[in-house]
Amino acid sequence: MTIQELYAKIGGNYDQAVRIMKSERLIDKYVRKLKSSGVGEKLAEAGESMDAGKLFESAHAMKGVCSNLGLDGLAGAADEITEEFRPGNPRKLSDEAVKEKLRDIDERYRAAVEGIRQYEEG
Amino acid sequence: MIISNQLRRPRLVLIVDDQEINRDVLGMILEDDYEIIYATNGREALEMIEENLDRLSVVLLDLIMPEMDGFKVLDIVRNDEFLKRIPIIVLTAEKNAELRALQMGAADFITKPFEMHEVILARVGRIIELSEGRQLISAAEHDRLTMLYSKSFFFEYANRIHQYHPEWHMDAVVMDINQFHTINELNGREFGDNVLRILGNEIRAFLGETEGIASRFEADRFDLYCMHQADYQQLLDRFQEKVNTLSRNASIRLRMGVNPWQEGVDPLLLFDRARAACNMVRGDYKTNLMVYDEDMRNHELLNQRLLNDLQRAVDEREFCVFYQPKFNVQCDPPKLSSAEALIRWKHPELGMISPGCFIPLFESNGQIGTVDNFVWNEAARQIADWRDRLGVVVPVSVNLSRVDVFDPALEDTLTGIVERNGLDYKSMKLEVTESAYTDNAGQIIGLINRLRSMGFEIEMDDFGSGYSSLNMLSSMPIDVLKMDMEFVRNIEHSEKDFRLVEVVLDIARYLKVPVVAEGVETQRQMELLRDAGCQLVQGYYFSRPLPPADFEKLILREKEIVREN
Repeated sequence: MTIQELYAKIGGNYDQAVRIMKSERLIDKYVRKLKSSGVGEKLAEAGESMDAGKLFESAHAMKGVCSNLGLDGLAGAADEITEEFRPGNPRKLSDEAVKEKLRDIDERYRAAVEGIRQYEEG
Repeated sequence: MIISNQLRRPRLVLIVDDQEINRDVLGMILEDDYEIIYATNGREALEMIEENLDRLSVVLLDLIMPEMDGFKVLDIVRNDEFLKRIPIIVLTAEKNAELRALQMGAADFITKPFEMHEVILARVGRIIELSEGRQLISAAEHDRLTMLYSKSFFFEYANRIHQYHPEWHMDAVVMDINQFHTINELNGREFGDNVLRILGNEIRAFLGETEGIASRFEADRFDLYCMHQADYQQLLDRFQEKVNTLSRNASIRLRMGVNPWQEGVDPLLLFDRARAACNMVRGDYKTNLMVYDEDMRNHELLNQRLLNDLQRAVDEREFCVFYQPKFNVQCDPPKLSSAEALIRWKHPELGMISPGCFIPLFESNGQIGTVDNFVWNEAARQIADWRDRLGVVVPVSVNLSRVDVFDPALEDTLTGIVERNGLDYKSMKLEVTESAYTDNAGQIIGLINRLRSMGFEIEMDDFGSGYSSLNMLSSMPIDVLKMDMEFVRNIEHSEKDFRLVEVVLDIARYLKVPVVAEGVETQRQMELLRDAGCQLVQGYYFSRPLPPADFEKLILREKEIVREN
């Protein structure tokens, strides 16, 4: 699997990743780090407790990491949670709707991690 | 240029982000141009900022982080005098956060994701450049020891205040430390620096309570340009108390001169006058505060005018020499013995000016030599004139000022004057004050010995007003003691004062020199002195200082008396 094929598989924006990291070598280096970054696991954990502060922080972290990797879909989904729980923002979604979105993010994240694993295996 | 390039180390940049990927991506963008260190949260960032304070050029700070977020870091840094010089660029994707961070003192922001590398590099470069420029300006702007403004910046800002806020009534205050160099010498430079630092701190604390700016103008002089204060003594006491706490053993005395706001007077002139007021405190141990007023202004203007007019006065012969006779009271009737030459200044516009006005001024200004030279020449000419016309040699005493003592040409000058007028050296007596002896004992004794060996007679003037020890007196080469007039003033009414006169006369007997009593105004004073053994008397009792023509009449009358006897 090529890096471009990986991005196509996990719904990433390869062109965006190139804009940020300038070279395929660096995209390769950093996308592999998504697995160990723990951003998905922390967001899932925050979803279990529905702690607003933790949800904001972990969604914000995922948004930042994914946007730098060009993983636009994940970054956009994490942005929704970030804004939902940003201190001072009025809540727009019910807890159920949030949990639904978190499940969606979790699935996408797991798919991305799985895709990266397959990419690593060649 | 090569050297400065070699000396220039790569700038150190701290990247603070809790996400490794974000840190790495940003680091990758900057690594070719900068040395990079990383922190994973706000707490770690603060530790690293403090550790690298001297080298750190910029901090790139994520805002949302666990442990301590970026806003807290901004808050701490902004409120710390030392940390706040490090610029911080925030990393954010939120418009609201950008604004808040900028309001909290962030220098700029970088938008996430890090797409535009050139923009990021340009922003980091520009912020470092601005910050380094500001630090350079700040180093020149402030005195490092006290953190007050440097002299040039202080006056620039004072002028701006004067120009843009003429409605503010700002006073000029100059404060310095009496004999600061001796404090440094006795207690060490470090102690002296500490005194200055503590004063600087207290001045800044004071300025925090009012409106104003301050500078360490030079060494131990502080200038304050502040809103008018009702009670400057209170302010001076406050500063004095602060330095008093520093050491019980060192006596540190502050002096302050104030020139209150005056409409239309610019800061430069205002501070010139405040400095003049401060200088007037010098030597006055009763007061340590002087406020510049109209009298002081007039006094200064007069002094300046006199200094300007000095040379013209010599050239135009505005100076004239008066002669006050000294009588030998051991004869009956008392007999004219000699005279003292005393300068007078007949100013064409100011009229007769008292020597008390201009002699201390010329002494402090180093120009007294010009006046002394005039007196020596004039007195010598007069002695010769009386000798030639009246056939009488009246010895005349002239003053040697302290500055004359240091004039390497003094002996040649005096010899020239005596020789040109064909005088006997003994006919021009030289008066040296007692305090000049005690101030420069070694140097002056050498000079006096040489002058005496040439034939001059030396009179010690104002004896009793200085601090000669008996031991010192016995080694001082003198021919006459002139007793300070303070001794004589009260001898009619105070037995104690009369005893003191007797002591002086005893000392003179011990030294085997005659005594001249100055300031004798009454017959009783003259009789007491005469009966106690004083040989010579000078004062209003016999005569005030006389112009040459009147003194000539006195000589002629004396001649007549001698002839009759």
